[in-house]
Amino acid sequence: MTNHWIDIRNSDCIMIIGSNAAENHPISFKWVAEAMERGAKLIHVDPRFSRTSAKAHIYAPLRSGADIAFIGGMINYVLTDMDKHPENYTMEYLRQYTNAAFIVNSDYGFNDGIFGEIQDGRYSEAARNSWKYADMNTPATDPALKDPRCVFQLLKKHYARYDADTVCRITGTPSEVYSEVMRTFCETGRRGKAGTIMYAMGATQHTYGTQNIRSYAILQLLLGNIGVAGGGINALRGTSNVQGSTDMALLSHILPGYLSVPNDQDGNLEGYLKRVRPAAISPRNLAGDKSLNWWGNYKKYMVSLLKAWYGEAATADNDFCFSLLPKADPKVNYTHIGMFEAMGEGRIKGLWCWGQNPAVGGPNATGEREALGNLDWLVSADIWLNETAEFWKRPGVKPADIDTEVFILPAAASYEKEGSITNSGRWVQWRYRAAEPPGKAMADLELMDLIVVKLKELYAKEETPQSEGIRKLSWDYGDRITADAVAREINGYSGATGKLIGGFGALSDDGSTSSGNWIYCNMYTEAEGNKAKRRGTVDGHPAKIGLYSDWAWCWPMNRRILYNRASVDLDGRPWDDEHPVILRYEPEMKWQGDVPDGGAAPVNKAPRGNRQLPFIMEPEGVARIWGFGRAEGPLPEAYEPWESPLKKNLMSGTMYNPCAFVGAYRNERGTPDKYPCIGTTYRCTEHWQTGIMTRNLPWLVEMMPDMYIELGEDLAKARGLKNGDRVTVSTARGEISAVALVTKRFKPLLVDGTAVHHIGVLIHWGYSGKSTGDSGNVLTAHVGDANTTIPEFKTFLCDVRRA
Amino acid sequence: MSKGVLFDATKCIGCRACQVACKSWNENRSEDTANRGTAENPPHLSADTWTKMRFTEIEGKDGFQWVFTKLQCMHCEHPACATACIVGAFEKTKEGAVVYDAKKCIGCRYCMVACPFGVPAFEWDRPIPYIRKCTFCFDRLKGGMAPSCATACPSGALSFGDRAELLAEAKRRIETAPARYVPHVYGEKEAGGTCWLYISSVPFESVGFPKLGPERMSVFSDPLMHAVPPVAVVVAGLMTGIYWFSKRREKIAAHEDISEEKE
Ligand code: SF4
Ligand code: SF4
Ligand code: SF4
Repeated sequence: MTNHWIDIRNSDCIMIIGSNAAENHPISFKWVAEAMERGAKLIHVDPRFSRTSAKAHIYAPLRSGADIAFIGGMINYVLTDMDKHPENYTMEYLRQYTNAAFIVNSDYGFNDGIFGEIQDGRYSEAARNSWKYADMNTPATDPALKDPRCVFQLLKKHYARYDADTVCRITGTPSEVYSEVMRTFCETGRRGKAGTIMYAMGATQHTYGTQNIRSYAILQLLLGNIGVAGGGINALRGTSNVQGSTDMALLSHILPGYLSVPNDQDGNLEGYLKRVRPAAISPRNLAGDKSLNWWGNYKKYMVSLLKAWYGEAATADNDFCFSLLPKADPKVNYTHIGMFEAMGEGRIKGLWCWGQNPAVGGPNATGEREALGNLDWLVSADIWLNETAEFWKRPGVKPADIDTEVFILPAAASYEKEGSITNSGRWVQWRYRAAEPPGKAMADLELMDLIVVKLKELYAKEETPQSEGIRKLSWDYGDRITADAVAREINGYSGATGKLIGGFGALSDDGSTSSGNWIYCNMYTEAEGNKAKRRGTVDGHPAKIGLYSDWAWCWPMNRRILYNRASVDLDGRPWDDEHPVILRYEPEMKWQGDVPDGGAAPVNKAPRGNRQLPFIMEPEGVARIWGFGRAEGPLPEAYEPWESPLKKNLMSGTMYNPCAFVGAYRNERGTPDKYPCIGTTYRCTEHWQTGIMTRNLPWLVEMMPDMYIELGEDLAKARGLKNGDRVTVSTARGEISAVALVTKRFKPLLVDGTAVHHIGVLIHWGYSGKSTGDSGNVLTAHVGDANTTIPEFKTFLCDVRRA
Repeated sequence: MSKGVLFDATKCIGCRACQVACKSWNENRSEDTANRGTAENPPHLSADTWTKMRFTEIEGKDGFQWVFTKLQCMHCEHPACATACIVGAFEKTKEGAVVYDAKKCIGCRYCMVACPFGVPAFEWDRPIPYIRKCTFCFDRLKGGMAPSCATACPSGALSFGDRAELLAEAKRRIETAPARYVPHVYGEKEAGGTCWLYISSVPFESVGFPKLGPERMSVFSDPLMHAVPPVAVVVAGLMTGIYWFSKRREKIAAHEDISEEKE
C-alpha cells in the first residue's frame, strides 16, 4: 500500500478492482464504511457480484482479464476531459510531479500492439532503448505538455484508441455503467479530492498483471491521487504478513530491502552496482531542479547487508564477501512456476516448503503434484499435515511408486511464537507468544537456527570454496535464538560502538555499519527500543487524518503515506486543506504532520539548485506515467489472456502479451470451442488460502463445508443444472468435482456481441484435513506475467457439466 | 437502562464473524452441514447455533441487491417465551436480556411455539434436552462487556449500547440518508418492541422477517397457556408433534436436495 488501512476513510471515491475486499479483507470495510458515511462513493469492478459489490454504489461487471481495456478507457476519458476542463484537474501536479512533460526518444514507435523489435518473447535492446527519454542525463521537458514527443502527447495518442465503445465491447461492461464509473472516479482529479484504488490478486494474477497495476498508477497520477490522504494504489495483501515476507525477500529476484539478486555476469560488487545502482536523472525546465535519487545510496545498503550476514569476515579487501552470495543465471526463471518446471524435468532434487502448500496452491496442481514425485527429498514445515506433505498418498497414486523421502517439521502457529508481522500498510507490529506450541512443534526461527547450527558444524572442517558461504556466515544467537535479537540485527548496528543505528541515513558503504534490511532501519533504536511494540492510540497528526504514528512503526522511517511530498503544491500548501499529510513548512520547524519524504523545503521556497523533486525513489525525481523499465513496453496495452474466449484481440492484431511466461511442463492449452466459459479462481471469507488452517477448524467447516463453484442461472439452464447439483468443471489440464451454487450474482456479459459466462472456482480444498474436496488449481495453467511470472490464476477457459 | 443492539444491514458485509464469535464465546458445538447450493450454513438456528446470517438475493425494480441479515433472539421487551413458560424458566433481566434457567426447564417447548421469531431451539440429540438460544451474552453484559458477536463485527454493522440511544441513532441514520434506508426500525414496535433493532435498505418482509403488530404476543398466549393446565399439556404435546413433523419435513426436503446430487 502507498497509504494504509485507516487512511481509506479519507477517500472521496474508492474503486475496488480485482479485489473482493468485503470477503477477503473484511476489516478494510470498517474504513470503507467510514468513508461512505462521509459521502464517499464506492465503485466495485469485478466479473462477479460479490459481497463487495453488494455494498457498492456502482457495480461494474467486467470480463476477467479485461482490466487494461477498462482502465485504458478511463485514461482516455481523463485526457479528453482535461483538454476541455483543465480547471477540474490538478495540472500542476501532472506537469511538475510526473514525467508527463518529458521528451521521449524520437525512435519510439508503437505498431499494432507491439512496441518495437521483438524476438522469442523479448524486446531487443534497441526497442528497449527507444522507450527511454531522449536524454537520460538531463532530459528536456515541456511543462506545457504540447510537444508531440512528450509523454503526455504519446499517452494521448496511445489511449485515444480506447474509446468507450471499443472498451465495453472488450470488457462486457454495460456502457451506461461504464460512463458512470468514469465520471465518478475521475471527479477525484479536482484539487482537494482524493480517490483510492484497492486491488488484490484479481489484478495481478494475469499474464499482464504488472501492466494492470501500471495502468492504475497512470490513472492515479493523472488525477493527482498519489501521495495524498485518501488516495494511492493500495495492494490488499492476501495474508497478514505478505508485505513483511516480500520486504524480507521471499521472492527469487530480490534480497532484503528490495536489493537486486546478484547475477553471474556481475563479477564483483562494483560490477553489480554498475548494473543495479541508478544514476540521477536531472530534468530540465521543471520548477524542481534537484533529484535526490535515493537509490544512489545502493552501496551503503548492500554493504551493510553483507556486514549483517558475514560479520567480521566481510571486509573492504574481500569485497565484503560479495562473492559468497549465490548468483542467478539471468536466463533462468527462479519463480514458483519456473521452479516447478525444473522439478518436472528432474533438475531439482530437494524442496523445502515452509508454510507453503503448492499441491493445492500452485497452478496446474496435477502437474505440480507429479513434479514433487521427481524429488529425492521434501521437507514440509507446517502447523498441519498438508496436501504437499501427503502428496505421495494422494487419491489415484500408489505410495510404493513414489521414491521421494518426506520430512515433516511441526511448526508453531502464529499465536505460539513471538515476532513481528508487517501489514499491507507497511506497519510492523510486534506479536507476543500467547500459548506454548503443542508437542514438538517449534517456532520457524528455532527450526531454522537448529538447521544452520548443524550445517555449520558439518562444514566447519571442510576447507572448500563451496562451503565458505556457510563457514563465514555470521550466526551467533547463542543457546536460544530470539526474535528480539533478529529484530535488532535487521535494524542494524554501528561497528564502532556496537550500538543500534538510528536510521538508514546513518548507514555507510565502508563496512562500518550493518543492517539486515535497510528499509527496517529505525525500527529498533537505542533511544526508543523496539518501536514495533508501540501502542500509542492518540492520533498526533495536526489535522487528525488517522495517521496514529505512535502505533507500532512503519517503514520507511515511520512514514505512513508514501510519496507525501507530492501532497503539497510547489509553495508547500496541501492540495487538500481538510486532509493534509504534511503541512506548515517553516525553516526551523521543518514540516508538520507525517514524516516527509525527504525533508526538503517546498520547491518554490528552496534556493535554486536545491529545489528537490518529490518522488525521491525515482532517479528523475518525478513519478513515472511512462515506465520504460518493464518487459513488455512503456505503456500498458490490452492483450487477451493466454486462454481467451475471443478469436481476436479487439484492440490490435497482437492477441497475447508477447513477453508472457508460458510453461512447457504438462501445460495443455484449451480452446473456446471445447471450453467456452471463463473460469476464475478466488477465496471465500470462511477459508484461507490452501485451506489447511481453516479446513481443520470445525466452526469454519460448518459454515463452508464443501468445495463449490458458482455460476449464473443462464449457464445453469443451458447445461441442465440445478442449484446444489454436483458438477464437473473441466479445462485442458484437468477436471474437478464440486457443488454448484447457481446464483443471480453471476450474469452473462455481452462481449463483442456474444454472451460470455464466468464460472467461479474456489481454491481452498484438497485431500488432507477435516473437510476435503477437489482443488480449484487442478484447472489452472502454468503461464505467468511477463515481469513477475505470477500465475494467470484469474482467467482460463473451462466448461461445466452435471457430474 | 435496557441494553440493545442495532443491526444496520446497509453496513453488514456478511462476513459471519459474528456467527463464529458466538460459538467461540459460548463454546457451542459445530454442526455437520453440507453445501446445498447456498453460502448460508448451518441451515437454521438450533441448540448449537444461536445466531446465523441470512443472505437474500433480491432482484427488484431498483436493480439487484444482496442483503445480509443476522438472526438471533430479539430479546423482546415483553417476551412471549417467558409468558408461555409454565415453570418460569425464562427471565427478562433489567439489562434487557431474556435469559433462561436450564435447570427449571421441563422440556415442554411452549416457548418454541410462542416465540413469534421462531428462536428457541431444542437439543434434540441430547439425552436430557434443554431449550437453548442466544443469551445476549448475559455473562459478558454483567461484566460490562459488549456481546461477543458485536465485538467481532468488523464493519460497524452491529452496535451495542442503550436501547433508547440506539433507537435514536437508527432514526438519525434513516433521516440523514433517506435514500439508503426504508423508513422502518424493525424491533421498535414489533411484538411490543425488542432490544435488538434493525435498519435496512429493503422492506423487512423481503428478507423473511415476520410482519408483526405492536401488540405484545404474550397477550394472546397468556390465557391459553395459563388457564387450564391440562389443556396446555395436551396443546404442548400437540405442538411438539407439529414441530417434530415440520422439522422432519425440512430434513426430508434437505435430504432430497442432497440425494439428487448423487444421480
Ligand atoms: S425472540 Fe423469542 S425467544 Fe427471544 S425473547 Fe422474544 S419471544 Fe423470547
Ligand atoms: S449476543 Fe451472544 S449469544 Fe447472542 S448471538 Fe451474540 S454472541 Fe451469540
Ligand atoms: S460480523 Fe458484522 S458484518 Fe460480519 S456478518 Fe456479522 S453483522 Fe455482518
